[in-house]
Amino acid sequence: MMNKTNHNSPRLNLANYVFRPEFSSLVILIAMVVITAVLQENFFTIKSIVRNINAFAPLILLAMGAGVVIISGGLDLSAGAALSLFTCVLTTVMKRGEPITGVYAIIITFAVAIMVGVVNGIGIGYLRIPPVIVTFATSYIWLGIGLFLRPTPGGESVAWFRMFYNPAMVDGIHPAIEQFGRVIPPALILVLIACFIWFIVSKTKTGRYIYAVGSNNDNAYASGINTAKVQLLACVINSIFIFLAALFFVGQNQSGDARMGDPLTLRAIASAIVGGIALTGGRGSVYFALVGALILSFVNKIIFFANISYAYQTLVSGLIVIVAIAAPVAYNLHSSKED
Amino acid sequence: MITLVILEAIGIKKHFGGVTALANANLRCYQGRITGLLGANGSGKSTMSKIITGVYQADGGEIRYKGRVVNYRSPSEARKDGIAMVFQNLSLVADLTVWQNIVLGAEESRGMFLDNDSARELSTKILAQLLPELDINKKVSQLNPGEMQIVEIAKAVSQNPQLLILDEPTAALEQAQVKNLFNYMRALAKKGVAMIFTSHRLWEVMEICDDATIFRNGENVASIDFEKEEKDPEKIVSYITGETQKERVEEKRKAVTGGTILRIKNLNYGKLKDVSFELKKGEILGVGGLAGQGQLELMHALAGSFPGISCEAELMGKEVKLNKPVNAIKEGILLVPGDKQLEGLFLRHSVLFNIIFPKMSLPHHPLFIPYEKYREECEEIVDVLSIKTPTVDAPVETLSGGNQQKVVVGKWLPFDINVLLLADPAKGVDIGAKRDLYQYIVDQVQEKNMSVILYASDNEELVDYCDRVLIMYEGQIVTTLEGEDISEDTIIACSMRVR
Repeated sequence: MMNKTNHNSPRLNLANYVFRPEFSSLVILIAMVVITAVLQENFFTIKSIVRNINAFAPLILLAMGAGVVIISGGLDLSAGAALSLFTCVLTTVMKRGEPITGVYAIIITFAVAIMVGVVNGIGIGYLRIPPVIVTFATSYIWLGIGLFLRPTPGGESVAWFRMFYNPAMVDGIHPAIEQFGRVIPPALILVLIACFIWFIVSKTKTGRYIYAVGSNNDNAYASGINTAKVQLLACVINSIFIFLAALFFVGQNQSGDARMGDPLTLRAIASAIVGGIALTGGRGSVYFALVGALILSFVNKIIFFANISYAYQTLVSGLIVIVAIAAPVAYNLHSSKED
Repeated sequence: MITLVILEAIGIKKHFGGVTALANANLRCYQGRITGLLGANGSGKSTMSKIITGVYQADGGEIRYKGRVVNYRSPSEARKDGIAMVFQNLSLVADLTVWQNIVLGAEESRGMFLDNDSARELSTKILAQLLPELDINKKVSQLNPGEMQIVEIAKAVSQNPQLLILDEPTAALEQAQVKNLFNYMRALAKKGVAMIFTSHRLWEVMEICDDATIFRNGENVASIDFEKEEKDPEKIVSYITGETQKERVEEKRKAVTGGTILRIKNLNYGKLKDVSFELKKGEILGVGGLAGQGQLELMHALAGSFPGISCEAELMGKEVKLNKPVNAIKEGILLVPGDKQLEGLFLRHSVLFNIIFPKMSLPHHPLFIPYEKYREECEEIVDVLSIKTPTVDAPVETLSGGNQQKVVVGKWLPFDINVLLLADPAKGVDIGAKRDLYQYIVDQVQEKNMSVILYASDNEELVDYCDRVLIMYEGQIVTTLEGEDISEDTIIACSMRVR
């Protein structure tokens, strides 16, 4: 009987958590929050927290998407370009003063997001082209379409789209929603939606197979898994997360820009890795990509508040990122020796 | 008990390029019985299993499963029909846990969510009989090869197959694990599961199987019903080798008179246990035995591939350290690996690059590569070995298998060779090229008075070219054959520990 309980209990006790490779990124994050709180006096006010969440949310969403793709054995270099494209599509479909166009825009852009994921997925999964090549190529396709729709930043947006940024800015909104939005900003809700989507997926076959395929594509195939389909689904999930980020961006800026997402691509991938997701696939937790994105975001904040001369800021942030990436690796090496 | 034929393979033929793997093979399996498949390396028994499960497609013949003709195109198709195979090259995913792997590809769902509780329960239930001490929440990457093999078996069994094919399942297992497996197989047989069991270990087949089919050169040469007939290992060995011995081409080479050049004492590494032997000058020493008994490891150990090795080695009376490849190369101990694609060659690079490459790793190599000088040397080597290539700049991958193997040999020629290690050098090489290659090696041995250690999975090569043959079993040298004793019969009998 003793034996049976031992076999069946999922590992939930503290010791097992401490020995998980992701643990070190959590420690780094806590350290960074403490440092920031010391440097920034009003850090723990609601206003400051909401501002931080708004600033971090797009990277968090893209990092979680990158995490899903990397775990499935892929890599997405087109995430930033896809984000830009979605903002362009949204602001092209919407007409100022016609609220209903906002609904059309969301539906059409969602369809575009699914297609973006499917195209990447076909290249990676079915055509078996190296993911770096596929998504490098598609990033230019997304950029091209984006520039076609919106050669210069701009475009129109319906007023209620500010819902996705700050409900207080929408005229005539119910006061209760307005109050709610002050405490729980829409950006946080978008991140929670992404977390919920992954929570559901991770409980299904698709979630299990994403890990199996990323860990060993051939053996997963030999076990009867349709590996191409799994990789395609991973790309689609990623694309949906990027779509959520696009809603936030257009809500915030009321305009589209075919190039605005570019700097986020590599930051999203770096976030996933800082969060302990292995670039080789199959290992890591999508939720910890969120932690990784927070770490990368806090790096910039700390440098800003630490009064480091502007000339050194980029250099210092690079060094901190290296430490953040190296720490989980060193931790992994150490704990695997203990085994 | 009425025994029901569940699977019948009739007149199966299979060719790989010009090589015939199965000429005209028949096999029959019965409900609730364990059928052993026996045969020497390359006799076609693995090919047969792979054709039944749809890994390969047969070139001729038919397979009848439960009375109807089937032709599976993939293992998953066969699995849907209740035929499961335990692969030698494992199908596990390292980053998932044991129980996740056992149900992989056949997960049960409750609604849209995975039913993890029933998966854990099922895994615990199966493993309780095979390896109760294994923690099912461990990741497969943390398991040892034996445990992985057990998980692989559990995975195949979890889908309740009616025909279970076990291809050398015991090779990675320890004695106790083998015992558990056999008990489990007997329980499965009682439930009516038919099984095909292949193993090189004759005693295992005699212990667990109800009947056995023996393969030789792609044909089934005998079937034995162990319930009715006596278990006679000598007879089985004679079926495996074939009674009629081919006439030997050449007379035995003259006896070796040289003194000891290499003395290995108490070599221990991995599966190698206390390996000790001596090699004489001008001798061709064979290493034989069943596949995977540590022969390849021994060759690599002598070539310095394992940093953590423990061994006392003396070359010409002088102590040598075998912990780095460069040490072995400096002493003139050179390895010609068998898996030329993986270990010996840069396939996309030119013949020239491949042949001069080892020189560059030596100390005191000039900073700039003297290409002109090397090109001349290389052309000479290509000439001597009659490597068929348009120019020395042709990529090695454009050459035929035999010529590729010659390049592997050729790259060591400019060195002073004391001991040449050949690890299955003629694997996958056609007969003509094989004879050329060996003739060249024999000539070199005489001309340069060097010594050779030859591991060959084909016993014929050992019989034809070796002065002495060491037989390995589970990482140890169990027998040394000399002179007249070297024949395919004795090699196989000693390999299977019958004699």
